[in-house]
Amino acid sequence: MIKIIQCLAVCLVLCLSVSTGFSQVLPPPSNVTAMDTPNDDGSSITIKWDAAPEDSGISGYQILRRLAGGGLEEVGGILPAGTTTYVDSTIEKGNAYAYIVRAVSATEATVESEETAPVSGSGEWFHTGKIPLLVAMLLFSAAIVWNIYDARSGKEIFVRRIPGLEAVDEAIGRATEMGRSILYSLGLGRVEEVPTIASMTILGQVARRTADYETPLRVPCRDPIVMNVVREVVRTAYLDEGRPDVYNEENVFFLTESQFAYAAGVDGIMVREKPAAVFLQGQFFAESLILAETGNSIGAIQIAGTDSEHQLPFFIAACDYTLIGEELYAASAYLSREPMLLGSLRGQDWGKLFIFGIIVLGVVLELAGVNWITTLLQRVS
Amino acid sequence: MKRQVPLILCFAFGIVMILTQFSPHSFSQGIYEEVISWTLIISPFALVLATATLIQTHVARIQRRTDHWQYSFVVFVGLITMVVIGVPFGPQHQAFEWLYTNIQVPMDATMFSLLAFFIASAAFRAFRARTFEASLLLITALIVMMGNVPVGDLIWNTVLGWLPLEDGASKARQWILNNPNLSARRGIILGVSLGVISQSIRIILGIERSYLGGGD
Repeated sequence: MIKIIQCLAVCLVLCLSVSTGFSQVLPPPSNVTAMDTPNDDGSSITIKWDAAPEDSGISGYQILRRLAGGGLEEVGGILPAGTTTYVDSTIEKGNAYAYIVRAVSATEATVESEETAPVSGSGEWFHTGKIPLLVAMLLFSAAIVWNIYDARSGKEIFVRRIPGLEAVDEAIGRATEMGRSILYSLGLGRVEEVPTIASMTILGQVARRTADYETPLRVPCRDPIVMNVVREVVRTAYLDEGRPDVYNEENVFFLTESQFAYAAGVDGIMVREKPAAVFLQGQFFAESLILAETGNSIGAIQIAGTDSEHQLPFFIAACDYTLIGEELYAASAYLSREPMLLGSLRGQDWGKLFIFGIIVLGVVLELAGVNWITTLLQRVS
Repeated sequence: MKRQVPLILCFAFGIVMILTQFSPHSFSQGIYEEVISWTLIISPFALVLATATLIQTHVARIQRRTDHWQYSFVVFVGLITMVVIGVPFGPQHQAFEWLYTNIQVPMDATMFSLLAFFIASAAFRAFRARTFEASLLLITALIVMMGNVPVGDLIWNTVLGWLPLEDGASKARQWILNNPNLSARRGIILGVSLGVISQSIRIILGIERSYLGGGD
């Protein structure tokens, strides 16, 4: 009797185990495809599969790959249950790989998909996702180039008054009258950075005027390459004004590459030499207020300009005039009044008008429940 | 010729570098990385030139006995010490690291810490409520400052507890940062971006050539 009961118990346990096992059979990942990742340099393959039902018991996935004629190897570790895509960036270019997606349950039961056809990665010559960006860039460039060449016809181009640039002559005149020097800092930017190049352009215009007035122009530089280019800019400005005798190469000098040592150095020059005018034009970081406040404390007329929106409030608070953002780039056209440069400013304004139009249109369409502009812009970004 | 060659090079490299941004192919990315790495070659030469300029400047100061010329000796002491230790033993040497950690880092930190005082003095000037704009700035700044400190919400809930808005200081601060502040910032960023593109086009086309040393 006892044996019968024991046999029945064993059978019951076996039946329960078998039925539980059958109820947790994992479905294999379906529709597994492997393809060359679009818009990359051919260094990755994308594997996709269909999402499993929530009650499938799958707790994760493993990706297995096989190099032609080789064994299976696991890549990427365990992926979370909801994953349906994996990008294998560890492939070797030129080799074809076949993939298997393995579903894993909490009890470590596994089931594998069918093996995909071998795929190899190949680089694309054009990033199709950047077409809208390319179109926008071409349109904007065309507007600028058209305006530049239109300006050559001699048409009068209106440019709004920029107080910071109007004050350049005032600042130089003040320094000349007081018999003091002018200090010009290009900030911490490297030579390849656009704000630094814009600053050099302004410096060229300032140097022309200081050459005329014979006012000493001191330019401490943070970057050795910037220093060399600046020397050439200032020297040419003095030559163009017919005053090479006034040019002193030692006035354009290297200070240090260290950010705060540069700030200390420029502050020291300000405190010792008390320049009547201070120009802070270019790329600035945390040292912006240290420089601007020291300039303020010595009573110098200060004209600052930067494209860093984080430093602008400091300059506005501490300087007499501030070129805000794009005004830094408009300075060369504004100061030189060259028609071609002014034309590019008008092209820039067309770009702004276009963006403004897109924003207004986007807002109106969103309010009307149409969101294709928002979707397009999100896709581009 | 002195001007034409740099202009041609600038145009060619400018166009090629733009194109590499639209081509993910390893060939074009290779060109991009190669050109970027060329700047590393220029840097050591420029550094030698910079060191020569630094020495020249301070020797001239000592020779001419200009104001505070004695400090130029400090420059030479620092320069020679770091070279004598750094060149033969490398930057990982204990003495080099000690000098860096115990001299340069504290001096940098000192300069940086001055910023706190400069912010206070600049804020004092900016927030004087003389005009409508300055008053607006003052009120906004007070709200943002209140929202930034933990006690701000406590003050709000205690003093303005009768209002239906709980933790209003931090919420008002967040609203100011997310709406008027972010809108203004984005406006500036858009203008700057267009300005950068415009400036780049002028440089690539050779219209803006002052960086070569003159406008002609």
